[in-house]
Amino acid sequence: METIAIPAINLAPIMPEIILSCIAMLLLLVNVFVPSESKGYLGVLSLVGLVATAASVVSGWGQPVAAFGGAVQLDNFAVFFKLIFICSAALAILISDKYVVREEINHGELYPLILFATVGMMLMACGMDLMVIFLGLEVLSISLYVLAGFNRGSLKSNEAGLKYFLLGAFSTGFLLYGMALTYGATGSTKIGNIAGFVATNPQVATNSLFVVGMLLIAVGFSFKTAAAPFHMWTPDVYEGAPTPITAFMSAGPKAAAFAAFIRVMIVAFPTLKHDWTDLLWILAVLTMTVGNIIALSQDNIKRMLAYSSIAHAGYALVGFTACNPEGVAGILFYMLSYTFMNIGAFAVIVLIGKKGEANGNVQDFAGLGQKRPLLAAILCVFLFSLAGIPPTAGFVGKFYLFSAAIKSGYIWLAIIGVLNSAASVYYYLRVMVYMYFKPSEEDFDWVGMTPAIAVCLLLCVATTLVLGVVPGTVLELAQKAVQF
Amino acid sequence: METIVFYILAAVTLVGTVLAITARQGVHAIVYLVTSFFALALIFYLLGAPMVASFEVIIYAGAIMVLFLFVIMMLDLGKPEKIQTPKLYDWCPAILLLVVITGSMGVLASRAATPLNAFAGISVQEFSFTLFKRYGAAIEIISMQLLFALVGALYLGRRR
Repeated sequence: METIAIPAINLAPIMPEIILSCIAMLLLLVNVFVPSESKGYLGVLSLVGLVATAASVVSGWGQPVAAFGGAVQLDNFAVFFKLIFICSAALAILISDKYVVREEINHGELYPLILFATVGMMLMACGMDLMVIFLGLEVLSISLYVLAGFNRGSLKSNEAGLKYFLLGAFSTGFLLYGMALTYGATGSTKIGNIAGFVATNPQVATNSLFVVGMLLIAVGFSFKTAAAPFHMWTPDVYEGAPTPITAFMSAGPKAAAFAAFIRVMIVAFPTLKHDWTDLLWILAVLTMTVGNIIALSQDNIKRMLAYSSIAHAGYALVGFTACNPEGVAGILFYMLSYTFMNIGAFAVIVLIGKKGEANGNVQDFAGLGQKRPLLAAILCVFLFSLAGIPPTAGFVGKFYLFSAAIKSGYIWLAIIGVLNSAASVYYYLRVMVYMYFKPSEEDFDWVGMTPAIAVCLLLCVATTLVLGVVPGTVLELAQKAVQF
Repeated sequence: METIVFYILAAVTLVGTVLAITARQGVHAIVYLVTSFFALALIFYLLGAPMVASFEVIIYAGAIMVLFLFVIMMLDLGKPEKIQTPKLYDWCPAILLLVVITGSMGVLASRAATPLNAFAGISVQEFSFTLFKRYGAAIEIISMQLLFALVGALYLGRRR
């Protein structure tokens, strides 16, 4: 009998995924032996794992290598995104140590699930095969469904998990159907081969199977990036999920969806570029406007940040619509800065919150400026950055996204973006008004800093300001990362 | 001969599925569905895919249906539900699906039939070669994914 000769596989491109998966499985084992009051050590271990993974990711910079017959490819684009995912996972783990104790959900499964979601995101960023991208998305989604419902005792968390699961499964159907149709029209799931087929058979661009396939793929990814009109799940899921998980979901998975979306669209469908940029134009305008307008009327701060995250996906879509190297580099830079400023804001929310997700309204921030001036100032930095006010990372990011749009001739898109950005200042400033100008009977004595959250806040503030003042180096790296 | 067998099997599949949807008793619905799965498995066999046929029987008709049956019996859902006329709103997903399916069929029907290459079916060996060589990455990812889906299910379903 003939045996299957194991083909020689170059493991270097997927080393980060292998390391992180191994650490996640190790944590599952260790979890059994760790008593519940010292589960925090699992967090430390997972941070060590993330640092090791980051080291292995960085070694892939500058020398694109492919493996598994071109199904995965570690190039600069993937490296940049993978570092964003690792940052978001690490920051989320840092802010969960206090939260899980307070909410009595100090279960060891949290850390392996976050790490495994990160593995999924990394596969999405380096997948060159629709199948690998899809599986990466599923790995990510399944971990996130569980994480969103992680607080099993809370109805809202259960609701978040279930809603995310049902709608996520539904949208996955769209994505998979689109991929199947594309495969049917081009005969390959490798995005390089699809591009090759399209180049040699240009008439495929009028093939309805191919066009519908592309549209359905775009719908599937739009859902994951929370772009309007596929954003309906976002507020409920973000509000119900445990706060550190919300922070994680708003940063990492959104960036992962963008990574896969950008790569698939630009590499596989270059001949239809005019059609899908038109589509993205509409998506970008809708997403920015819907997110910002609804955010204006939100009192719950997690819900407000959920709508704000929809709006931020819209800003990133502006860069995607421009579809020039500057625009894509802008998205990379923006996703990186958004990770730090948004998770930083969520870290403050974790500190202010009380057991049972109480104290999550804008009104509960009243008087924070007098009682806890440092914390209030830190939150101000993040809110200014989210609103896009210099000298913060948010401003630089938006500046590059909008100027990329202008460079591609989308003047109106840039104008709508700037107007939206101006409208968003209202709801960010509203929090500051409550913090500094409204009196409060509360003395915020329950707000206790822990070393982990202090490290997280320090990192987030430093990055937000550094990227805002001297963005040059990172921006240059982002520009070098725009190669597929 | 093959054509006749195919049409008989196709009819059994369709009737079985329709009855599975309309049956009021959960257990009856499952028996209908199993029937339709068996017919579908035979269709796959006729098309020259014995592997898929055996998967259909082992995984769908076997494992998944037994699981459904088990859940229905455990939760005691055997009693038929009261008849409810669906509201207009409830029809929306069905209509949407109908539009998608008729649209796809229309697209397929509108083009000239392209003759397929002679297809003699594939052997188990060829199948496994393709599976583990060409789709090696996917197999690895799926195996990890199942592990973590299990972890998640255990966590969410564990007694408090």
